[in-house]
Amino acid sequence: MRIFEGALVLFSLISFGYFVALNAVYLTFTAIAWRGVTYYRRAREFSGAEEAFASPLTPPVSILLPAFNEEAGIVESVRSLLALRYPELEVIVVNDGSTDATLRRLTEAFDLVPVRKASRAGLPTALVQGSYASRKHHDLWVIDKENGGKADALNAGINAARYPYFCALDADAMLEPDALLRVAKPILDDPDLVVATGGIVRIANGCRIEHGQVVDVGLPRSPLATLQVVEYLRAFLVGRMGWSRAGALLIISGAFGLFQRSVVAAAGGYSTTTVGEDVELVVRLHRYLRERGEDYRIQFIPDPVAWTEVPEDIRSLSRQRRRWQRGLVEALWRHKRVTLNPRFGVFGLVAVPSFFLLEIAGPTIELVGYPAVIAGSALGYLSLTFLLAFAVLAVLVGAVLSVSALALEEFNFRRYQRGREAARLVVMALAENLGYRQLLTAWRVLGLVDVARRRRGWGEMRRRGLGYAPARGESRGR
Amino acid sequence: MIGGLAWVSGVLALLSFLLVCALAGRRVALAHAERRRLSTEERLRPLALALVEGESVELPRFGAYESRALARVLARYARQVSGTALAHIGGFFEDRGHIAREVAQLESRRAWRRASAAHALGGMASTSATPALLQALGDSDRDVAAAAARSLGHLGALDAVEPLVYALVDGRLPRAVSAQALLSIGPDAVPRLRGLLADAPVEVAAFAVDLIGLLGEASDSPQLVELLRDTSAEVRAHAARALGRLAAQDASDELRRALEDRIPFVRVNAAHALGAIRDAFAAPALARQARGDEFDPAEAAARALARVSPGVLVAVAAEPGSGPHLAQAVDLLHVQT
Amino acid sequence: MTGNGQPLILIADDDPDILALVAFRLERAGYEVVQARNGEEAIQVALARRPDLAVIDVMMPRVDGYEATRQLRQHEETSRMPIILLTARVQEEDIARGFDAGADDYVKKPFSPQELGSRVQAVLGRR
Repeated sequence: MRIFEGALVLFSLISFGYFVALNAVYLTFTAIAWRGVTYYRRAREFSGAEEAFASPLTPPVSILLPAFNEEAGIVESVRSLLALRYPELEVIVVNDGSTDATLRRLTEAFDLVPVRKASRAGLPTALVQGSYASRKHHDLWVIDKENGGKADALNAGINAARYPYFCALDADAMLEPDALLRVAKPILDDPDLVVATGGIVRIANGCRIEHGQVVDVGLPRSPLATLQVVEYLRAFLVGRMGWSRAGALLIISGAFGLFQRSVVAAAGGYSTTTVGEDVELVVRLHRYLRERGEDYRIQFIPDPVAWTEVPEDIRSLSRQRRRWQRGLVEALWRHKRVTLNPRFGVFGLVAVPSFFLLEIAGPTIELVGYPAVIAGSALGYLSLTFLLAFAVLAVLVGAVLSVSALALEEFNFRRYQRGREAARLVVMALAENLGYRQLLTAWRVLGLVDVARRRRGWGEMRRRGLGYAPARGESRGR
Repeated sequence: MIGGLAWVSGVLALLSFLLVCALAGRRVALAHAERRRLSTEERLRPLALALVEGESVELPRFGAYESRALARVLARYARQVSGTALAHIGGFFEDRGHIAREVAQLESRRAWRRASAAHALGGMASTSATPALLQALGDSDRDVAAAAARSLGHLGALDAVEPLVYALVDGRLPRAVSAQALLSIGPDAVPRLRGLLADAPVEVAAFAVDLIGLLGEASDSPQLVELLRDTSAEVRAHAARALGRLAAQDASDELRRALEDRIPFVRVNAAHALGAIRDAFAAPALARQARGDEFDPAEAAARALARVSPGVLVAVAAEPGSGPHLAQAVDLLHVQT
Repeated sequence: MTGNGQPLILIADDDPDILALVAFRLERAGYEVVQARNGEEAIQVALARRPDLAVIDVMMPRVDGYEATRQLRQHEETSRMPIILLTARVQEEDIARGFDAGADDYVKKPFSPQELGSRVQAVLGRR
């Protein structure tokens, strides 16, 4: 019994310690992000992003659009990509063995004809069965290949890409017309340093969409989707911005990122053996470039927007989050050797250990912490008043953090124009800490369980690629 | 302990309450300001247009707000128009004392003040601001320097050419900004750029070559042709690209020789240039490169061959072992007509 | 021609400042003006109003100036309407691209409103 008591007290202490540390980190990040975003917004006024549109020196970009069973939206997506404001680009759709009419829709809409396209042999991929060019748009290509999963499709796209930079997209992501130009800006400004950039992913549920473009920004009706709106703002504007400023951005959303082709190809392209190919690539790029002692930047830019649909029901959301967690853990685990190795700078000393602590150890502590603390107070080790006071405190800290993320959005970008919706966002930001965050924690732990089961050879290993977008809109948004 | 927690909680509650209030208040204020700005600008636009067109107009007595709004509209026009219209705008700002005021702001201790002054001067179309802006180009704050660079570009300040090229190469300025500034100075910058070819560092020369390709004309080609034999591959590659952009017919002999260059990147640019010049004599060499070279030079050669001589392309692509690049180029020939 | 016998000119640009400036100049020069904010709208307006000439900005969202020109050339009603492109990109290839699409002339941005006026006059006179 004494051991049990001891463990309980110890665990409560660990939980409290973790709580304090976690929130201290979040507060620091909020401060860093405020500086970063404000600085960015000011600089934007003087940086002349608009002019890059007319500049012959803006490097051309290959847009890679992997598509698996996307017959419903693929034509609109391609149309809106071809209409992006960017001086020179090609769009490469990689049809990843779709079993529906994806290819036929494209063929009809763009008058595709078979072409013997020369591709690099660089990255191994599933068999490419054919390539098509369009009679209507000289900048459109379609690569038709056997199913191999999203990473494999992207690798085929990298092999086929003609230009020095590629932009990886989810088939259902909708870029704003200026998004590519904005996400490319750091590369235009420092082409020798910047190897990859990512933009913000925002939630399209509730927006009015015409021709594959968000024409009117609005909030979703579903509370679950609205909670995700707040969560995404927090994750991108605070989390990504903070890490980017610290020089150790580990995640660029698979939904929207721009990369230097040669570096990605040299580092081996996307990994086909993880569900977190987007995180894994960025972590590997850091490692690859640090190992070679190169000076480089990987940056997050807060205003080029890709809109995506998110799940509105709890089951799909849970599946999505467990998969994200699994992907993240797989990526970090694969590169665990960089942890605390001074050779890897901020990336190895701070970023990777923090992710291990905050994303892997953290949720476990938190989840075990709740019952432990409750048990502790039930057994009289902790006073109930203290517990309640602490719970109130925890919720309030969360509220301040959530609302300040909203403030960041509101002060700098103001995408949600209607007052009523802004008010709803505030309510959701406050409510987020009562239940939703705990749910996220639980899914993270379940994701960990998935990883453990897979490692021991249990669990389902669904054939990869069979629906790398199982529910529309499972773009990585964290 | 609990007292402490309660105290902290109270502070936090107050903090979130204040944050929410600030958000709401700001939103209302901003919406109001935005409406006022738009309607004022719309109201002043006919006046601004008359000023741009140099019509003699009686300026009504303005408050400071209207005066700023008019200046904003005019500054936007200054970035879009040239010729006498631009001179009219410059005259307006000069007469009304705006230039002197902004130049004084360049000495401010706050970086964002200096940056917005440097930015504003670019929209005021008056060259009297040039010396102050040249000085601001060396500002320790990157934003200030970038704003000054853009403004110097808008003003077409020839004295800014060399400092801009050096700042670009040193990475003191965002590359896109300084490059764009140089481009907006325009063809008048070419003699200055030519001056940089002789004994400047390699990166400076390479970039100057690039700009000559964009701003110059065919008569600039002899000097670039010589650079096709430079010791630096970067300079050779940029020279080839520039010659293609200038469509320099008389460079074709040397460009064909550049197809033999050791460095793939130079061969890519040489092939591209020969395509742009449509040099029919290059067809056999391009065909050879398209068949046997590495990916990028082969691809460039095949595309160039399609422009130079579709007939030769079709013929060589039909030969056995002609490779993927010629095949692709032939297929595209049929698609893209 | 419009009812009053003044030539009707279509201006297409996504920047309201430029629309206003060009309209101001051309109206002063005695033309009647219709405006469009993007390429799609330009095509619609051109087909509906049958202007005597169009001034089209190259860089527009959705359908750019080249594409709008190409499409206008394919419609019988507008196949012979003179088109002047307004363009910030002045490389040989860009200009060639404009002429390939079927433009009659181009004016480089930043532009002089006077010069644009005389180009309009010259192109109309040529027909």
